[in-house]
Amino acid sequence: MYYALCDCNNFFVSCERVFRPDLEGKPVVVLSGNDGCVVSRSNEAKKLGIKMGEPWFEVKRRLGERQEASVTAFSSNFSLYGDLSSRVMSLLAKHTPRLEQYSIDEAFLHCDHLPIHDLKPYYEQVVKQIRKWVGIPVSIGLAPTRTLAKIASKYAKQYPAYNGVCIIDTDEKRQKALQGFAIEDVWGIGRQAQKKLLPTGIVTACDFSQRLPEFAKNLLHKPGLQTWQELNGYDCIDITERAERQSISQSRTFERGITDQATLEKALVDFMSDCADKLRKQRSLCRQFSVYAHTSRFAEEEMQVIHQIVTLPFPTAITAELVGYMLAALRKQWRPYPYKKAGVVLMGLTPADNAQQMLFDERPKERDERLQKAIDHINSQYGKTALKVATQVLNTDQPLTKREKLSPCYTTNLRDILVLKC
Amino acid sequence: MKLTNISTAHDMGIELEIADGLHAGFPSPAQDHAGETIDLAREMVRHPESTFYARISGNSMIEAGIHDGDIVVIDRSLEAQNGNYVAACIDGEFTIKEYLFDAKNQCAWLIPHNKDFQKIKVTADNQFCIWGVITHCVHRL
Repeated sequence: MYYALCDCNNFFVSCERVFRPDLEGKPVVVLSGNDGCVVSRSNEAKKLGIKMGEPWFEVKRRLGERQEASVTAFSSNFSLYGDLSSRVMSLLAKHTPRLEQYSIDEAFLHCDHLPIHDLKPYYEQVVKQIRKWVGIPVSIGLAPTRTLAKIASKYAKQYPAYNGVCIIDTDEKRQKALQGFAIEDVWGIGRQAQKKLLPTGIVTACDFSQRLPEFAKNLLHKPGLQTWQELNGYDCIDITERAERQSISQSRTFERGITDQATLEKALVDFMSDCADKLRKQRSLCRQFSVYAHTSRFAEEEMQVIHQIVTLPFPTAITAELVGYMLAALRKQWRPYPYKKAGVVLMGLTPADNAQQMLFDERPKERDERLQKAIDHINSQYGKTALKVATQVLNTDQPLTKREKLSPCYTTNLRDILVLKC
Repeated sequence: MKLTNISTAHDMGIELEIADGLHAGFPSPAQDHAGETIDLAREMVRHPESTFYARISGNSMIEAGIHDGDIVVIDRSLEAQNGNYVAACIDGEFTIKEYLFDAKNQCAWLIPHNKDFQKIKVTADNQFCIWGVITHCVHRL
């Protein structure tokens, strides 16, 4: 079986450019919460030497006044990115029997619905479609394992001649791709693994793949062995396992399609409540989640997809907050079709005691946490669902941090839509 | 009396079912059709992934029935044909006009629908893109 990894190019910057075509070909950056650090860069900004994560004030100092003026900076506009991400994912879902969303701008697609030699031309059309329909440039890597597909996508991004799609379908291509790929950029090789690899003299993915499997296992244990196998073309990563620490999800296939909004919402509220429960048990906070529902893949009519990705303005594990954002997102896209499957995926998990959350969150939330603790306590005594969340839709437009360069919420707020001079 | 869960919204007009025992007599014949309603937004959006909205500012399309302050529905998935109204971006400015490709002169024309306005010639010297095709106009009376 082949996998496709679809990655949105410079995603946040690309989102801003959809509504600012005049910024094509110019240096653009997006800044983190509080306008602190650079979190997304256009290729032109990369060429100016602006680094990922570099504090914006340092960029300004380094570039000097004249060059700084040539760079357009934006505050993070999470409602915009979340909405455009949902559109991309919803299109991707139509081109695969199975979509595994990995982050706001990345997804794995199972490709067993097409013969291998048709994959590249097929997904070149998908790249074109996403660019035209949503306005977002994406790169797609195709390979027999997810780890190789990720590597292929980097090549697709790097070389325009690939038309956005690079496929690793022969051993020769695999070897060549691995030789030119730094080991630290391989999916699954984290900072700890890098430290251990440093003294071994391994520089490229190819170096690593040519060692014995026992070497990989002894040095980096099971994940290291899996990476070794995947680089050598053996599909072995269970995505749910790899994503475990990074996401919590729940979904269900319904025997009969659900056409009724209240019923679907009820099911999803239950899923979200369970996920939030697990989230608190593992002492994590969630910064982003997706909610989806789709009709049967086998029906004669075109498959209908609801897919919303919500990036929260602050990390939270509070059921009421998660449910509120989820319902608001769901209702944006609700249409009455017979939905066969629905689910939620919590992503972007951080430990609850992580100080980093303070970067994003300036609300006093002790009260909410005490409330949640009380609810959990009652539920532990009287049964899991003794107290449940009634609907609560939060105002997502509330500015919580300094966001001076915020672009309009072109797709999520009627007051902010594009203006056409006439 | 049994209370069912209240995890759904009242602001969406969703009925909370309170105990079957409260009902008496025949079940409502309308029950099978609960939730059916006309949703204009749904009628106007054929491709949710590629549909965007924009507000009109100005009077150059008034004779086409597109007025200042109207909201238009834009579908980016459609290929602009001659005679379509399009949202276009020319030299960094978004505008709405009728689109006409002039094969003979290798240029495009943006045609206003108001005799007080001039048509705009688009050549290779302009930074130009057709952002999307206008499919509907929402006008408040």
